Amino acid sequence: MEIQVNYINEILIFVTFAVSLNLLLGYTGQVSVAHGAFGALGGFALGYLWLHHHTPLIYVLPIGFVIAGAAGMLVGIPALRLTTEWLILLTLAVQVIIVGLISTSNTFGGAYGLQDITKLQIFGHQLSSPTEQFPLYLVVAALALALCWRFGESPYGRVLRAIREDEPATRALGKNVFAYKLTVFALTSAIAGAAGVLLVVQSTVASPGTFSFDLSTAIIAMVIFGGMGNLVGSIVGAAVIVLTTPFFESVIKLSPQFSSLWRLVAYGLLLVLVMRLRPQGLIPEGFTVRGLVRRGARKPEPVLGGQTLEASSVSAPAAVPVGGGFPTTVPRAGAAGDSGAAATGSGVAGPRHAAPPEPSELVAERARHRGELVLSVKGLSKNFGGIAAADDLSMELHRGTITALVGPNGAGKTTVFNLLTGAIRPDRGQILLNGQDVFGMTPNKVARLGMVRSFQDVRVFSRLSCLQNVMLGVQGQIGEHVGGLLLRPVRSFTDERETRDTAMRWLDFVGMKDMAAVLTGALGFGQQKLVALARVLATEAEVLLLDEPASGVDQQWVDVMLELIEQLRPEGRTVCIVEHNLNVVGRLADNIYFMELGRISAEGSFSELTGDERLAQAYFGTA
Amino acid sequence: MHIDLGLDNFLQLLVNGLINGSAFALLGVAFGIILGVTGRFHFAFAFTYALSAYIAAEVGLAWNLPFWLAMVLGAIAGLVLGVLMEFLVYRPLARRSGAYALLTIFVSSLGLAIMGENLLSIIFHSSASESISGVSITAIKVGSVDFTSLNVEMVLTSWVLILALAVVMSRTKFGRMVRAVRSNPDMSLVVGVSPGAIFLAVFAIGSLLGGVAGVFQAAQTAATPSMGFEPIFYAFTVAFLAGAARPPVVVGLVGLAVGIVQSLSGLFLTSQYAGLVVFAILFIYVAVRPLQLRSVLSRPAPLPAA
Repeated sequence: MEIQVNYINEILIFVTFAVSLNLLLGYTGQVSVAHGAFGALGGFALGYLWLHHHTPLIYVLPIGFVIAGAAGMLVGIPALRLTTEWLILLTLAVQVIIVGLISTSNTFGGAYGLQDITKLQIFGHQLSSPTEQFPLYLVVAALALALCWRFGESPYGRVLRAIREDEPATRALGKNVFAYKLTVFALTSAIAGAAGVLLVVQSTVASPGTFSFDLSTAIIAMVIFGGMGNLVGSIVGAAVIVLTTPFFESVIKLSPQFSSLWRLVAYGLLLVLVMRLRPQGLIPEGFTVRGLVRRGARKPEPVLGGQTLEASSVSAPAAVPVGGGFPTTVPRAGAAGDSGAAATGSGVAGPRHAAPPEPSELVAERARHRGELVLSVKGLSKNFGGIAAADDLSMELHRGTITALVGPNGAGKTTVFNLLTGAIRPDRGQILLNGQDVFGMTPNKVARLGMVRSFQDVRVFSRLSCLQNVMLGVQGQIGEHVGGLLLRPVRSFTDERETRDTAMRWLDFVGMKDMAAVLTGALGFGQQKLVALARVLATEAEVLLLDEPASGVDQQWVDVMLELIEQLRPEGRTVCIVEHNLNVVGRLADNIYFMELGRISAEGSFSELTGDERLAQAYFGTA
Repeated sequence: MHIDLGLDNFLQLLVNGLINGSAFALLGVAFGIILGVTGRFHFAFAFTYALSAYIAAEVGLAWNLPFWLAMVLGAIAGLVLGVLMEFLVYRPLARRSGAYALLTIFVSSLGLAIMGENLLSIIFHSSASESISGVSITAIKVGSVDFTSLNVEMVLTSWVLILALAVVMSRTKFGRMVRAVRSNPDMSLVVGVSPGAIFLAVFAIGSLLGGVAGVFQAAQTAATPSMGFEPIFYAFTVAFLAGAARPPVVVGLVGLAVGIVQSLSGLFLTSQYAGLVVFAILFIYVAVRPLQLRSVLSRPAPLPAA
């Protein structure tokens, strides 16, 4: 009996490891192979503090938590700007260095570690047998699960997943990506530290070998096998991987020596096969019991925080399930995509001719100040090496108007948007947004101050649904910040419902309401553009910089986009579009700036500019 | 800290550094060509490395072969395994994974490496190590510095191979094709160079060179199932520090530098810590690398300008 309980204990400890890594890897997309090392920090903290100072376990657990969390934050800082392969490398170095330092230090017992960590107790309760230890592991695992659940399946978690999908796009919506990443690194490392403490309690030994790179890869295997982005999956993954040892020993009846080897072969093979055959893992992201029930009832209603697998327009139940954490091979939503499959009325209904769902006070406020100077740009310059991408640019945007930025390819139009929003730091210049200087501010700050942009290459969050994409645009969500998330659960719940309603109204405005539960990765390009537009509109930002909103789609989509943007003008929004399509420009633009080679060479109305021969020549080449 | 700055000690450490550095150079070049051309985070390099050593040991023993022949056969075994991995595992996976290929391939590669280590244990009977027969090692002493004939052979072989690869890359048509694919696989397809075939070729070259390194290590000590795991960290470090798309000689020199720095750190650090120096270098490099001169924590990475 004790042996069985011991296995359950081991599963609980690994559940703690796995759910925390899942939050980091599965939700936030940060590949870390250092989880074992953070466990080591907790485990050796216990060994040292108990053997040398007889510190009670009840204090060591939080101490280990904090030490590992602090280390995680320190590692997180350089990790902020790294792409995946560099992050793997960094965390690899961290793993080896931490465990290496511990194993060379005499205080921590050198290569053999610290032994005889026994006679522990908690709240007067002895912890000498597996059955006695069980409640402790259960409580810690449950706490870890609850914490990771709260962070992962919430507005906060939605932002994490957006970060996983596309960081610049997330930043452009006003989210401070660095703060999120640092927090997640710190939190998940801290939980790993607590799990490390437990591991030492269970084995009574703190040895460097236990916390080596092998441990990190085992935890990765659990997360991947169980399902990235799904915490229940991590429980299953942990159980399966832990139980392979007794499986090989009892069921296949190998000797302990061979069984441990074959077990490792099996689990290496498992990794390869999972990647090949079912990369989203056993239980894919977003899979919930509610979703399972709903699928029976055939109702594609988006679930709070998660998503159903149901998508009304998506065919092929035999295909790889939509909602797979990673990667999804998703059947294209059949409806009118980009050129070719055009079928009016299916999929995208055109825009309802309802007004955009802006709060009426906001509209009234803007109407009062129509025509005022909202954005003033002077002398904006940026050099890349010897090339002047922007050369002493000056422009103005007035409230309630649509301004167009046109020019030949390579003129620097998208660069201007990047400079204005802070995605690229300008060399010189002044950018006043409603009188406030936003020069040098980060994109998320600029977005929060009221200037947002859309991207030429759309950049929707593919593995999130349309609704979730648009919800990410909504500003001021309580549940997106740690304080609100943890301290105001009731308020954030109602806030989430309001956010969802707001997002649905914007989706309705662009005509994508029926596709709310569909993953945007399954959409055609034109539909993605509509969702991206809804997303940027949902920010209710004052100034909208739309980068080629009508490009890359055929005529019927251009018309749809046109109508939508036109409806923004009476709402008092200030819009600037980069466009190549002169029809669009002609119909929409109140004022046009013509750019060439980084400078603005002309300004005026449509008829003024198209009348000018030299500009036509610059735009189209030799006449 | 025990500092011994005596000249004898310094020279010995320097020579050790040159020897280790040459091994790192070969590892870095081998791994680097795979990484640079295919972009695959080929962790299972540890497997091909170890397999080469085992095959060299086994055939050398079974057929009583001279060292060089056993080495060649072992390296070829590594080559075959590497090519098979690309063909059977990585390529189909990359096709399916699209944008997520880096991660799926890394995880698969990890799985292959774990499988490999344990299969070697099982096939060649647990963790008993195997020595390579047919190796004659004579000790050499120049002045106060000690090394062996095997060290000399390893250094010479490594650099000959690195230089050979450098010549192939810069002066042959094949080398041009490899560089084309490294630079732009899609475009290469347009001009008639098949990235698929080139990927297989670089896996062959990388696994072959890695195998040679493995055989030398086994000749020095012994072949063990997990012998590939530490060298692969060195291979990563050198390849990433140098930049995987650099010419072989540059990568080799970076490897040499890493080896020397690690060895000379023994002037100040005890040998246990010296082993960590390489990782400390890696950590510092990776941590500091993305920072531009005046940039601050809050500055995000720039978007590509259109």
